[in-house]
Amino acid sequence: MNGESMRVIVVGAGLAGLTAAVDLTSAGAEVTVLEARDRVGGRTHGVSVSEGVVADGGGAYLGALHTELLALVREHGLALVSTEMAGDSTFLLADRRTTSATRMPALNAVALGDLFDRLEELVAQVRPEAPWRSPWAGRLDRVSAARWLADEHLHPDAQTFFPLFLGEMMAADPTAISALHMAFYLHSGGGIRFLNAFEGGAQQWRISGGAHLLCQALAERLSQRVRLRQPVCAIDQDGDGVVVHCISDVDGTQSKYFADRVIVAVPPLLAQGIEFRPALRAPRATAATGRGCAIKVHLSYPAALWREQGLSGWSLSAHGPLLSTVDDSPPDQSAGVLTGFVTGAAASAFGPLPSDQKREAVLTHARWLFPQLPPPTRCTVTDWLAEKYSRGCYAALFGLGDWLRLGPTLTEPYGRIHWAGTETSLEFFGLMEGAIRSGRRVATEVIRDGERAVVSGEAMSR
Amino acid sequence: MSADHIVQIFCRVLGTNEVDASSDFFELGGDSLLATRVLSAIARDYGTELLFEDFVDDPSARGLFSKVAAAVP
Repeated sequence: MNGESMRVIVVGAGLAGLTAAVDLTSAGAEVTVLEARDRVGGRTHGVSVSEGVVADGGGAYLGALHTELLALVREHGLALVSTEMAGDSTFLLADRRTTSATRMPALNAVALGDLFDRLEELVAQVRPEAPWRSPWAGRLDRVSAARWLADEHLHPDAQTFFPLFLGEMMAADPTAISALHMAFYLHSGGGIRFLNAFEGGAQQWRISGGAHLLCQALAERLSQRVRLRQPVCAIDQDGDGVVVHCISDVDGTQSKYFADRVIVAVPPLLAQGIEFRPALRAPRATAATGRGCAIKVHLSYPAALWREQGLSGWSLSAHGPLLSTVDDSPPDQSAGVLTGFVTGAAASAFGPLPSDQKREAVLTHARWLFPQLPPPTRCTVTDWLAEKYSRGCYAALFGLGDWLRLGPTLTEPYGRIHWAGTETSLEFFGLMEGAIRSGRRVATEVIRDGERAVVSGEAMSR
Repeated sequence: MSADHIVQIFCRVLGTNEVDASSDFFELGGDSLLATRVLSAIARDYGTELLFEDFVDDPSARGLFSKVAAAVP
């Protein structure tokens, strides 16, 4: 690759933007990364949950299919931690607490099998390279996942399980996403079984110390090229280049950055909020595009006390806030950490509560789930719905009509403006792996388009 | 009747042909999610709704077939 003498601005210092910036820098381009927050990492973020223990407030898990992420982890000398799942699962379904040696909830197994059969049939129809051209794409894009389920007329237990499953898989309320988005997401992530599994699946490992360490390592390689507290509000382009405008949200200071090309590596809802001059011809998000509804709650204990009771710490509840919990304790056993996932409609209800009510709701729920445990020593809430510079997590939720509207131009450059971010990756959409793949893709694209412009002598290569 | 049909269900759900009537579903790489799909296929093909506990009790095609046979009058 050769990007020598090309000036590129990357908007957003998450995994996608940082990957692109490192690749372009290696190719000889002059790169500046503009980040709105006072930290890098985007939707990966380390939160302190007890003395000397940092947990993943955002993206955390990875598995064997996440080859680009695994390669970056190795390259930067980071270690993996296996997700601890030994012991019994805990369920709070139909107001009854049960435990089980497997992850199979006390629901009608045949009904759940029927649900997974129908989902598999749907997922098999998706055209992964162009979901908007899947058979029945028009129809599946117009109905919600909830409507799709209702039309399948399955057993009530399948209907109980479905929102929990989508909450865990995609942080989505089934009424808020299209059936096409659900099918695409499950396909894109490596299939239902891989996405759902811990061992042998997408939740096999975490990055020791937190996934944000990878972003910090990438940012260190970029050094002074990363500028923090630079929220981008507008991007101009003309025959000569691009001008990126920032306004500080601290003191209103305005800054301008000039370049040949710009990579917008922020979630679609944030990209849509930037003023482009001339205006975009195709939107990055619509009124139907939603925020990924995930709030993470970390419960800290002196040790992983549930293990002494033969429990894995993994749980599933029919009602919020803690729809699911996972043992995310550090491997050195210096503390016990349970991560609670508040997702989908439960997140929308939980997020606006005042912090004392949040805490009370969490503690009550934890008592029902694990009556033998003492109260946690600390309870840490990370609300991604409220994050101004993420607007949701795990990823944007494509609502009714979005795939047909947004899909065809998902990665199509607009003049000198290129797009990255996990939502622009048809592989592992919404995951860290998708972010990295989008960064790789966009770096190659920028160099190619830059060379073309030089060869043809064109200022713009629309 | 024999366990052969359930072996075929195992093969389809697991995506492998390396299954015999005594193979342990979980040792073949099956998990609880895939087990539910075996149970839904048995319900469709034999008209018998087995429980997840039946599956765990003897997670082989032969074990499941014996439970199907016992359930059919």
